[in-house]
Amino acid sequence: MKKLHAPKAHKVNRSVGGNIAMFLFLAIVGVFMAFPLVYIINNAFKPLDEFFKMPPHIFVQHPTLDNFQTLGTLMSDSWVPFSRYVFNTVFITVVGVVGHVIIASAAAYPLAKHKFPGSKLLFNMVVLSLMFSYNVTAVPNYMIISKLGINNTYAAVILPAFAFGLGLFIMKQFMEQIPDAILESARLDGASEYRIFWEIVMPNVKPAWLTLGLLQFQFMWNTTGSGFLRNEELKPLNYALNQIVQGGVARAGASGAVGLIMISVPIILFLLVEKDVIATMSTSGMKD
Amino acid sequence: MKKKRITLEAREKRTGLLFVLPWVIGFLVFFAYNMAQTIVFSFNKLTMGKNGYNLSFVGLDNFNYAFLKSADFVRTLTESTGNILIDVPLIIFFSLFIAVILNRQFKGRALVRAIFFLPVIMASAAITSALTANLQNMLGGLSSTAAGTDSQQVSGLNIQSIAVMISDYGIPKQLIDFLVGAVGNLYEIIRNSGVQIIIFLAALQAIPGSLYEVAQMEGATGYEIFWKITFPLVSPLIVTNLVYTIVDLYSQSTIIDMEMTTAFTQQNFGLSAAMALVSSAVICLILGVCTSLISKKVFYQT
Repeated sequence: MKKLHAPKAHKVNRSVGGNIAMFLFLAIVGVFMAFPLVYIINNAFKPLDEFFKMPPHIFVQHPTLDNFQTLGTLMSDSWVPFSRYVFNTVFITVVGVVGHVIIASAAAYPLAKHKFPGSKLLFNMVVLSLMFSYNVTAVPNYMIISKLGINNTYAAVILPAFAFGLGLFIMKQFMEQIPDAILESARLDGASEYRIFWEIVMPNVKPAWLTLGLLQFQFMWNTTGSGFLRNEELKPLNYALNQIVQGGVARAGASGAVGLIMISVPIILFLLVEKDVIATMSTSGMKD
Repeated sequence: MKKKRITLEAREKRTGLLFVLPWVIGFLVFFAYNMAQTIVFSFNKLTMGKNGYNLSFVGLDNFNYAFLKSADFVRTLTESTGNILIDVPLIIFFSLFIAVILNRQFKGRALVRAIFFLPVIMASAAITSALTANLQNMLGGLSSTAAGTDSQQVSGLNIQSIAVMISDYGIPKQLIDFLVGAVGNLYEIIRNSGVQIIIFLAALQAIPGSLYEVAQMEGATGYEIFWKITFPLVSPLIVTNLVYTIVDLYSQSTIIDMEMTTAFTQQNFGLSAAMALVSSAVICLILGVCTSLISKKVFYQT
């Protein structure tokens, strides 16, 4: 009995040395990953003179909230009320993310699970479209937006975001992994395709669409709408904050505060969503 | 009986079409059109007129210029693709490795995962310009012009600037120079692995725990468990990550920068479109070869 147990325990658990090595590796890599964040957080609380100290310091020595006050003053001077920029960004981001995730998932489901004529061609087109960088096709992109008459509206930023190829690609790859047996049994029980999609497929690929949502959030949150949104009332927060930062040396403090604000929202969102991913996966027990 | 089956199939086809339709319309309008226009541009000379642009057909002149006359195009293209070919396997292995570690139970796991997702979050124009603005203020002089207003550069922070700051905490300069060299490349790889790690994590979490339980009961080693269970089950996502990585690296590469300057600084849209077509074709070729090589090894559960 003892013979049976001892080697098993030894083999499955990693050695203490291995754990330490792994911890060290994670720590070193993690420091480099976390460095910009630490730097941004510290900058946000540095008084103005510490920005110009030579040699420079990473950590703040006399933390202060002055930077946020300066930023507040600058914001209240802006052309349109600052809350308008916030609303624009929130609107563009929410609609862009929700719309993209739903449309891309809906299109990915038949591509992954119902082979219809032309599905392969369509999928190859998607991968091909990934090759055409957004920057390089800027001219035709502008033409189409202006021909559709949606130039200088929210739609100019949101509608193209709905049709990004990357989302469809990621969702299709994940949906292919759902066992056909689950879908088949639902179909035999008389579930419609809509019901299968919403109640079986989507819950099963929750980590995938949360990931996609995060990526798309990141993209939409950082959009400046440059080129398309010309009315000041339509411009997003990122644009407004960028303008403040571009103000030069005197704005060093305010730009520190801007960095912290822009970064805190995605990070908080990531922490919230991440917990959700873990919780659902441990209870769902999918796959046969 | 037979008749009913056909109608069911037809109905399924129709629902399938309904699911795909919204996306296809968006795709055709916003992407297929752009791609087609890019091809048209590449065979034309584009001049600005009173009512928008005018096209005049020049045949293969743009391609000729790119390959035979342009001083940089071929060199930049080979450099960019070379870098992509080197970085892709490193990024895939690194991200899979990190994802496997992060998938284990340990204290503070949520925090560590967030840290590894940071590079993706950091790739934002406002944050980058806030960082570079600060750096300019601190370092001043020459380096500030070098840092410039290059907001296209996605890098969160220049490695050199980290070194300058660390050197202040009394670490010998030789050691820092060595570390900068070694870490410089690693940093690039880490910075580009955020999304891949998340995709692998999502795949790892979909692996049923019962498989691991069985393997443990049968006395498999950690090594065996990884290669016989984990690796085959995440292998479909390796293809996904491969495609994502190649596309991601390509869209940040110097060749894209060059195409953009050609189009918007030199106002030579035709040449830029030709360059874009050539480089996209090269990347597509690489992508096709890589995925077909790997797809053969991929294990599909169903």
